[in-house]
Amino acid sequence: MTRPAHPHAMQPSRAGRTRTAPPLLPDRFPFQGRYLAYTLFDLTGVVYLIMGFVVLRVVWALGDGPQAWQAARDSMASPLGIALHGIALVSVCFVGVRFFRLFPKAQPPRIGPVKPPPRPVIYAMLYLVWIGVIFGFMVIINGGFVG
Amino acid sequence: MKHLLLRLEPLIWLLFGLGILVGTMLLTGWLLVFAVAAPLGMLPAGALAFDRIHEFAANPIGRLLLLALIALPLWKGAHHLRTLSIDFGGVSRDPAVALLLYGIALLGSALGVLAVIRL
Repeated sequence: MTRPAHPHAMQPSRAGRTRTAPPLLPDRFPFQGRYLAYTLFDLTGVVYLIMGFVVLRVVWALGDGPQAWQAARDSMASPLGIALHGIALVSVCFVGVRFFRLFPKAQPPRIGPVKPPPRPVIYAMLYLVWIGVIFGFMVIINGGFVG
Repeated sequence: MKHLLLRLEPLIWLLFGLGILVGTMLLTGWLLVFAVAAPLGMLPAGALAFDRIHEFAANPIGRLLLLALIALPLWKGAHHLRTLSIDFGGVSRDPAVALLLYGIALLGSALGVLAVIRL
């Protein structure tokens, strides 16, 4: 019978003398060369955190009634709201393109008995679903599925 | 704390992965509506009227989508900021940073559940 291993199961009882050099930050980290895109990718976390709370505020306002909903819409239409949403739009597009480029490479050679589809097929599926979700939003907002 | 974080890692990675994949897709739709279509007047009159939006949001699928729109970006954001903190030499402070960031994501997710329940 198997059971999950303890996370520290292979840890030696006491720390050994290491012969490796202490870790050093690369010269170009964090904003030069290839590290720029890497750091910006992580920094999008700030935007995602803010947007999570923005959507929370809007949904909360929707539960509060028509006046609160209108106030939330007005705040989104303010210059600050538009700027925030603009930055967020650039961020999600950056994350989407970068992550979708990485996703097919991160697939295991086999998933159970089957092999994952070729990379171009995975790319196509990801972008199709992305476009489909955006299209779905537009259909809903323009009157589909509602009333 | 480190031990707890290691044990929770599969769950945190699941939420982080969903945040990047599903959260990004949903947020793009949300942003195109509220950042592009609405300010540019591309939506039909009354498209964002309270009654219409509430009707969609209050059904089970709408609630689930809105909860995903709230919670998943929070977990993506929290985990990415934690890795950024580690990259900037914050290994020793990682448990405290992780506790703070995941705590914020957890609080926001809980409030998100409450927000969709009261619709």
